[in-house]
Amino acid sequence: MIAATAVARWLARTLAIILLVIVGSTVLVRFAPGYLSDAREMDSRYGDSVRAEIAAEAAQYGSPTHLLSTELRGWMHGDSGISRQYGVPVSELILPRLAVTGSLLLRALILAWALALCASLLSSTARRPVLLWQAPAALLLAVPTAAMATLCLLAGYGGPVLVMALLLSARDYKFLHHTLRKAWLDPHILQARAQGVRTYRLILGHILPSVGPQISALASLSVVTALSALVPVEVIFNVPGLGELAWNAALNRDLPVLLSATVLMALAVTLAGLASDRPGEWRSA
Amino acid sequence: MRLKFAGRCLLIVLVLAAAAIVAMPGSSYSYQDRESPLAPASKRHPAGTDTLGRDRLVRVSAALLLSLAGAVAASALTTAAAAGVGTLAAFGPASIGWVAMLTCDAFLALPWMFLLMIVRSALPLSASPASSAAVTFLVLAALGWPACARAVYKGALNLKSTDWMLHAHAAGLRRLQIVRTVVPNLFPLLLPQFLISIPAFVIAEANLGAIGLGIGEPLPSWGGMLLELDNSAMLFETRWVYFPIALLIAVLLLLEAVAVEA
Repeated sequence: MIAATAVARWLARTLAIILLVIVGSTVLVRFAPGYLSDAREMDSRYGDSVRAEIAAEAAQYGSPTHLLSTELRGWMHGDSGISRQYGVPVSELILPRLAVTGSLLLRALILAWALALCASLLSSTARRPVLLWQAPAALLLAVPTAAMATLCLLAGYGGPVLVMALLLSARDYKFLHHTLRKAWLDPHILQARAQGVRTYRLILGHILPSVGPQISALASLSVVTALSALVPVEVIFNVPGLGELAWNAALNRDLPVLLSATVLMALAVTLAGLASDRPGEWRSA
Repeated sequence: MRLKFAGRCLLIVLVLAAAAIVAMPGSSYSYQDRESPLAPASKRHPAGTDTLGRDRLVRVSAALLLSLAGAVAASALTTAAAAGVGTLAAFGPASIGWVAMLTCDAFLALPWMFLLMIVRSALPLSASPASSAAVTFLVLAALGWPACARAVYKGALNLKSTDWMLHAHAAGLRRLQIVRTVVPNLFPLLLPQFLISIPAFVIAEANLGAIGLGIGEPLPSWGGMLLELDNSAMLFETRWVYFPIALLIAVLLLLEAVAVEA
C-alpha cells in the first residue's frame, strides 16, 4: 500500500514535470523576440497579399493562450501537431528517427560504461591517483563535443558512437573513480584485503553492491549528458536522428517539432531518473 | 598545488596577452585583408588569415575575451539566481520550497542543448551580432541555475538544522535577519559552483556555435571558428585552422584546474 502510494506520488510528480516542460517550452518560444518573424518577410519576391497573409497567420496563432491551449489539448490527445516546415504530422517525422537515436544512445552508453567502469576499477585500486588515467579523462572533458566530432570526422577515424562514448566515459570515470576509491578504503574492505580475499571477489561481492545506488544515479546523469551531446554529434556526422531533426526544426522555427523533441527528451530523462533511485525508495517504503 | 598555481597564472597571462592583441592599434577582428585570404603565418598575420582575410590571431584573442567575459557574467547571474532560489526554498514557506524544487526538476529534466536551441532559434532574423551574443549568454545563465539551486537548497537546509540557527531562532531573530546570516555561510558552496559553471558555459557556447546557432558573424566566437573546420579545402591550405581548437582546449583545461582548486 505504501509502495503504491510512493509510485502514485512519483507518477504525479513526473506528470507535473512533463506539464511544466510543455508550458515552459511553449511560453519560452512564444515570448522569444523573433517568434512572429517569418523568413518570407525578408524576401522581396513575395507580394503584399502574401505579407498580409503572414500577418493574419501570426495574429491568429500568435496569441499565447491560443498557442498554449492548442499545444496542451494536442498533447492530451496524443497529437503533437503538424510540422510547420514539412506540413506532415510531427509523429510521422519523429517515429522513424527514434529508432536511429535510440540505437546510437544505447551503443554509446554501453561502450562508455564499459570503458569508464574498467578504467575506474583499475585506477581506484592504485595506491595513489595515477596521471595516466586522469590526464586523458581531463583532456576529453575539456574538448567540446562538436570539436571532438569534427576532429574525428577529419581524421576519418571513429564515428558518432565513439565520440559520445568518449565524452560520457570521461565524465563517468571522474565520478566512478572517486566513488570506488572511497569504497576501497572502507574498513571492512581493508580488513578483507589484509586477509587475502581475492580482488575480483571483493569487487563482485562487496565493492559493486555497496556503490550500486551511486552508480544508478550516475547512469541517469549519463542519459542527460548523452542527450545534450546528441545534437552536435548527429548534426556533424549527419545521422538522421532526433537531434538532427530538432536542429533542423530550430533553424526553420518549426515549433511543433522542436516542442515534441524537447518533451520526448524530458520524458527520457525523467524515466532514466526512475531507473536510478526510485525502485530503491519503493522497496524501502 | 604548484601546478594549479601555475595554471591560474597561465590563464591570467593568456587573458592579458589576448587583451593586448585586441587593443593593439590597427588590429580589428572584422577587418578583411582582401589581398591575402587564407594566408599562412607571416610577420603581418602571425597565425595566418581566414577565408575572408581576417587576422586569425586577433579573432582568436577577441573570441577568448568575449567568451570568457560572457561565461563569467552568465556564471555570476546563475550563481546569484541559484543562491536566491535555494535560500528562499529552504527558508521560505514549505509550498514555495516545493514549487521551487519542482521547477528545478523540470529544468533538470531538459537537456540544455534543446532549450538553448528553442530560445536561440526564436531570435529575430535581424538580430545584431552583439545582441545574439548577449542573448546566448543570457539564455545560458537562465538555464544553468537549477542544478546550482539544488546544491544551495541542500546546503541551506543543512545550515537550518545547525545549533547556531536554533540559537538565532531562540534569540528572536526575524526570518530576513536569519537569511542575511545564512548567505555568507553559503559562499564556500557558491564559489565552486560559480567556477564550475564558467568552463561549462564556454563549452556550451562553442557547441551551439558549431551547429550555427551561436554568436553571429562578424563577432568572433569559439563556435564560429570550429565551423571553419568544415571547410576541408582550407585544411589543406593551412594547419593554423587548428589553432583556435588547441587554444580553446588549453583554456578549458586551465579553467577546470582553477575550478577544481576551489
